[in-house]
Amino acid sequence: MKSRTTGSWTPVALSADLPVGTVIPARTPTGPIALWRSQSGGVSAFADRCPHRGMRLSHGFVRGEALSCIYHGWSYAQAGNCVRIPAHPGLTPPEAIRVATRQVEEGDGIIWIAADQSATRPPRLDGLAPLRSLTACAGIAAIEAAAGTDASPGGIVGFANNSQTIRMLVASLEDEQALIHVLVEGDASPPERIAASRAAEALRRMAEHIQRKGIA
Amino acid sequence: MKLYDYILSPSCYKVRLMAALTDVRIDIRAVDFHPGAEHRGAELLALNPAGAIPILQDGDLILTESSAMLVYLASKVDPRWLGGGTAEEAARVQQWLSFSHRLTASLGGARLHEMLLRPGDIAGLQAQGTAALRELEAGLVEQSIRGMRFLASQRATIADIACFPYVALAPDGGVSLDPYPTIRLWSRAVRSIEGFIEMPGIHRLHDLKPEPLPETSGF
Repeated sequence: MKSRTTGSWTPVALSADLPVGTVIPARTPTGPIALWRSQSGGVSAFADRCPHRGMRLSHGFVRGEALSCIYHGWSYAQAGNCVRIPAHPGLTPPEAIRVATRQVEEGDGIIWIAADQSATRPPRLDGLAPLRSLTACAGIAAIEAAAGTDASPGGIVGFANNSQTIRMLVASLEDEQALIHVLVEGDASPPERIAASRAAEALRRMAEHIQRKGIA
Repeated sequence: MKLYDYILSPSCYKVRLMAALTDVRIDIRAVDFHPGAEHRGAELLALNPAGAIPILQDGDLILTESSAMLVYLASKVDPRWLGGGTAEEAARVQQWLSFSHRLTASLGGARLHEMLLRPGDIAGLQAQGTAALRELEAGLVEQSIRGMRFLASQRATIADIACFPYVALAPDGGVSLDPYPTIRLWSRAVRSIEGFIEMPGIHRLHDLKPEPLPETSGF
């Protein structure tokens, strides 16, 4: 499924929100994923479901180069293959035990997931730096209406607030929700960053109001 | 020092956690909160007429508000937990201590509704809880822009301990924590503090410890 704003690639999280040795949940148009970064820094995207008992792998933990499920400790390498079953320490897990993996790319401080096996690269941000991500209970149309502009072909919505313009990379989620990644100039000062964060909160309030009233 | 405690209460856990982090020994007196409603019995009403726990008793001093208990433990043992190096920091500690009561009312109320079937407007409680989480997320984003990992300062204070438990247990009340990346980083930072202890529903970070070795001997 392609997004109207960002094509085959969905921006799911900021690099800074996924430190080394951690796992986080993320939403994509084709289902929930567990996004994790190994000790050596590699990012992987798994279907957020342990093949053993269905527990969300995003509740798990990362040790070294493997992601472990919180429930029974089954561990998976970056390729998705099971490498360890703690209840059977002598067993080499069969190849058939695998988690579904998704194509993932990281660039300009954003982590992207491909909707299908994509030969293209994710879009670039051209000097902009990501500040924070927030979820809005509003669709892209309501966000565009609140900002007073349409999304650019690269999926970026501009919003002029007081003397400042913030830019938002917007990804559509199910249930008329959207994930907004706030972008600022790479050299923005701390007060400018705080102002941008507050402007994004204001924009979200307006967009959700528009969504509730059904006036987008 | 005696704590009238219930293992599943996030407010009681605040005090147990603070005691563990400051290395204070407290005597635990388990209260049959559910299903016994012992907190509304004569013995405990004599200590806290409001009929609530935790209650912290140290000699003549009887405390019935968890924030006051955090202040007491920190003041007694390690005042760095009080924060307050600057006027701004002191105010932020108070701001988030007061805010923590909104977490108790909203996320805590939703949790009581879902876990102990306490009557209430669940949709309203969840909406208030979500609003509080958004406010916390925005506050933590601003702190991280200022170069600070915790609510009031670079190091954790009683404000973090006051807010952490009800936030961490929000999913018990049907409120997801998935949409809050900065709360997630903060929760990791709190759970990484030396001396951190768990409660049911809030686990430690397994990745901070090496992988356990398989048992070498059989039964």
